[in-house]
Amino acid sequence: MSLLDEINPLKAEALAELNAATDQSTLDRAKGAWLGPQGRFTGLMKQMGSLSKEERPLAGKAINAAKGELEAALQTARDRVELASAAPAEPTDFTAPGRRRRLGKLHPLTQVTEDIVKSFRKLGFVVADGPEIEDEYHCFDALNTPADHPARDAQDTFYVETDGRPLLRTHTSSVQIRVLKEQKPPVRIIVPGRVYRRDTADATHNPTFHQVEGLYVDRGVTVSDLKGTVEFVFRELMGPKTQIRFRPHYFSYTEPSFEIDFANSLTRKMGKDWLEIAGCGMVHPAVLEEVGLDPEEWSGWAFGFGIERIAMLRYGINDIRLFYENDTRFLHQF
Amino acid sequence: MKVTYNWLKEYVDFDWSVEELAERITMLGVEVEGIAETGGAFDGIVIGQVITRDQHPNADKLTLCKVSDGSEELQIVCGATNFQAGDKVALATLGTAMPVEEGDKPFVIKEGKIRGELSQGMMCSGRELKLSDDHEGILILPDDAQVGQSFGEHLGRAEKDTVYDLEVTPNRPDLNGVIGLAREIAALTGNPLKLPETNLNESKESVDGSVAVQIEDAELCPRYNARAIRGVKVGPSPDWLSSRLEQVGIRPINNVVDVTNYVMMETGQPLHAFDLNLLSKANDRHTVVVRRAVDGEPFTTLDEAEHRLGTDHLLIADPEKGIALAGVMGGLNTEIQDTTQDVLLETAYFNPQNIRATSKQLALHTDASYRFERGADVGCADWVSRRAARLIVEVAGGELLAGAVDAYPQPHEPKEITLRHARTDALLGIAIEPAKAVEYLQGLELELVAQDDASATFRIPSWRVDLKREVDLVEEVCRVHGVDAIPATAPRGCLGAHAFDVQHDALTEVREILVGLGLDEAQGQTLISDESAQLAADAWVALEYPLSSDMNVLRPSLLPGLLDSLRNNLTRQSSDVMLFEVGRTFAPGPQEIRKIAVLLTGQRQHAFWQDDPVKLGISDLKGVVEELLESLGVYGVQFVRRNEATTLWLESAELKMGKEIIGQLGQLQPALGKRYEAREAVYLAEVDLDVLLHRRTTNKSFKALPQFPASERDVAMIVPESVTHADVLAVVKTAKPANLVNTTLFDVFRGKNVPEGQKSLAYSFTYRNAEKTLKDKEVNAAHEQLVAALTEQLSATIRDT
Repeated sequence: MSLLDEINPLKAEALAELNAATDQSTLDRAKGAWLGPQGRFTGLMKQMGSLSKEERPLAGKAINAAKGELEAALQTARDRVELASAAPAEPTDFTAPGRRRRLGKLHPLTQVTEDIVKSFRKLGFVVADGPEIEDEYHCFDALNTPADHPARDAQDTFYVETDGRPLLRTHTSSVQIRVLKEQKPPVRIIVPGRVYRRDTADATHNPTFHQVEGLYVDRGVTVSDLKGTVEFVFRELMGPKTQIRFRPHYFSYTEPSFEIDFANSLTRKMGKDWLEIAGCGMVHPAVLEEVGLDPEEWSGWAFGFGIERIAMLRYGINDIRLFYENDTRFLHQF
Repeated sequence: MKVTYNWLKEYVDFDWSVEELAERITMLGVEVEGIAETGGAFDGIVIGQVITRDQHPNADKLTLCKVSDGSEELQIVCGATNFQAGDKVALATLGTAMPVEEGDKPFVIKEGKIRGELSQGMMCSGRELKLSDDHEGILILPDDAQVGQSFGEHLGRAEKDTVYDLEVTPNRPDLNGVIGLAREIAALTGNPLKLPETNLNESKESVDGSVAVQIEDAELCPRYNARAIRGVKVGPSPDWLSSRLEQVGIRPINNVVDVTNYVMMETGQPLHAFDLNLLSKANDRHTVVVRRAVDGEPFTTLDEAEHRLGTDHLLIADPEKGIALAGVMGGLNTEIQDTTQDVLLETAYFNPQNIRATSKQLALHTDASYRFERGADVGCADWVSRRAARLIVEVAGGELLAGAVDAYPQPHEPKEITLRHARTDALLGIAIEPAKAVEYLQGLELELVAQDDASATFRIPSWRVDLKREVDLVEEVCRVHGVDAIPATAPRGCLGAHAFDVQHDALTEVREILVGLGLDEAQGQTLISDESAQLAADAWVALEYPLSSDMNVLRPSLLPGLLDSLRNNLTRQSSDVMLFEVGRTFAPGPQEIRKIAVLLTGQRQHAFWQDDPVKLGISDLKGVVEELLESLGVYGVQFVRRNEATTLWLESAELKMGKEIIGQLGQLQPALGKRYEAREAVYLAEVDLDVLLHRRTTNKSFKALPQFPASERDVAMIVPESVTHADVLAVVKTAKPANLVNTTLFDVFRGKNVPEGQKSLAYSFTYRNAEKTLKDKEVNAAHEQLVAALTEQLSATIRDT
């Protein structure tokens, strides 16, 4: 049998083997058996030298053609085997749970505080801060609340056992005095922070809680300004359809003073027309005088509210103590 | 303060419903905290009179009657026979829900035919009215009963009413009486205030002949008014009086005392009645002496409590003994009893601060002290006294002695305040017509004394103790005008500035870094126990009067709080806890220091398919701290191991920057962990955040990315246990091999092929040049030099790998 006659049967055999390979090792073996240095097809090429001058070009052409075919088949087989090996052994169950990276959660009070800060910052407010261990002057006296004032009853105070008998601030309003004494108006600040009252812990009280204070002192500040800002901030916080109501009230450091009620789908769900949410008013002239500002020239407003209360309303939390227990199942809900 | 709808209506007209009134009062600044319906038990039942009584045409045992209800004649079929034409009866009109026992089905009177005859109501028996068991016949009322009057009224039972529970702000003592509220409503509606009649029918005998008042301390008692009534008959109050007191939460006692309470609720002015004859005399007159108590003076109040008084306590006395603790409570020795015949009626004004101090000190809080400490109306004493005297005579009989002893050494000078209309507009942000403003204020009974185009001056009535300066008048204008009518204007104004603003963002950044690392943010109590505090600190700031021993100091560290939170999780079966807190701590001084603390326990990775669970370890904790430091841009922190365990730490290290200790981290003592329910290792860290934020570098600059490939060389070496990673780094640093860009510790191994007391450290060193690809030869030269230095300086044996 001549060499030329051997080419086609060998090629057919090689092609069959390459096409049949389903994994890399079979394919590698097939490749070695046919196209490797010791391969049978390579062997065929080596026999070329034994051919006559006439036969050689003819055989060369045929062998090259066959080799090209085999290499193409090899490439196809490679692609096929690669694809097969990339596919999972079994079909994926896409309903099975994924492997999760655990993301930590910000405390809900932090989240609410940040939202409050963000909406105030849109209006040009900046965040200010003051000490939590305060003195009577900044917490009460300078805020037009003298020692025998009945208003001091409502906020029973913790005192610290140390010289000068400082106290734990009962409201963030103490920062008003500190900032106004330091800074010339215009002043435009908010003060988020912890405050303290002698309340035994229960579902609605914790001796430690958080407040935010807003203060704006400038020329020509009015009740209208106050209403506009309060409405803006609470609509940002509680939803654009929130209604706000101002109700005359009394705080010793503002005059006139108001309590702020809100109404939205949340209050309706609770069966209430209005829910109290904050206190506010025009900075009392006595406070301005105390920090050396002429009430004829400067006026301002202040308001304050509890962050726990907002968070409780917003998320429907029914016990304030949950905020301070840090149960991770609780923290991960927000 | 409690007040009822009908009571208010006695003093001012308004046509608001129960809900509207609540809304109006609320919007005036008096919050309505509760609304309750009372009375009305006999609603729909009126006094009727039988006009004719005939036999029912179709039933032997029934009668057919015509009955007048005062306005029309009704036909009624009745089963009883104990009455005749002309009798007055209790007539249940159509639609009346008859009184029922609890659990009974409601029974409503309807029009219907009984045996073919129309019946338009029911004449009631005593049993049907739940007044008696009498069911033999209908209730026949006395002849003087008024036809058409409601039966409830006839009995003196409270009619249907609504009780409002009000939160009166401390600046408005004048609203602690019904008249004060009525005055506000009068201002709002423009309707006149209708004050009760105080004309008196006095005897010829003047009170001066038998009563004298001496005020020894006019500062504490600026006014003391006394009237006397002789020959009263003490007994139960009439129903209208006792039921009204009950409605507003006051227990009726007897007619005289009830009048004093009634008038207090009506006017806001507390009164007290003494048994006149129990007061001893001086110069033949019963004498009231208003004086400070003597130090240690014993006194028994009405509630039979014995007190030892001091010189700060104001006492109402007679020449021999104390008879009342001024403004707080009367004395047991002179109280009105059933046998009392003559009454001394006190209407006084006491210094608010003094009453407040006394009441607080003796823990004796009464309706009277509540009002006096907020400031009563010094001007009204005589008027209130007349009102009460007239009522006492009305309900208890007796004869009122002529006049009053009114000790009032320095009559109140009414204050005058000028309101500039421009000022109102400037504060409120709207233009209010000057005439309107004046009208509002006059409506509140501020007396206009002068005005021009720009301003108006008012004389302030004595009951408005809250009106002190111009801005207070602006508030009144705002209230009456209605804050609703002030438009909200879009926020405007300047940009704020405060140094803390940047810090606030830094704190947010810290929180976000830690949340990104998978930790949850905790917020702990500021107030903790000294027992917890001493776990983490040697000194702390204590509270003067703590609420409880659990909360008696300010936290010196965040760690005790995190441990409490840990317990909360472990006891609720959450065993993998990764928490941090950013918060303030307190140190003696007192100083406030912001810290950041981290707690880790349990598993970092849960079993997932074929992967095994991985427990959190100390390196996880250190990794969190390192990540935080690097993200913040804090460099050069050293971790210095403490050689000894402490009460808190099983093993720990201090974080140091230079000589400054800025924090600590380590593993909690297992025994302590058990106290917090921990069975697994607990890892804790705490760092001074103020220092971190102060020392951080926020400058960032671009470094070109490496263009040329790096070569790695790994070394495993056996070193003595005492050699630390820091020691290795120190050698590397001094050896300074050329082109070394990174050193990574990738394995620490003890055991097989490593002698006891030694360990194997495996490092990977990365060499790279920014300008060219390094040749193997160059890398090898540098690396050999490094290995030699390590071998020599650390007594290391290089392991073949």
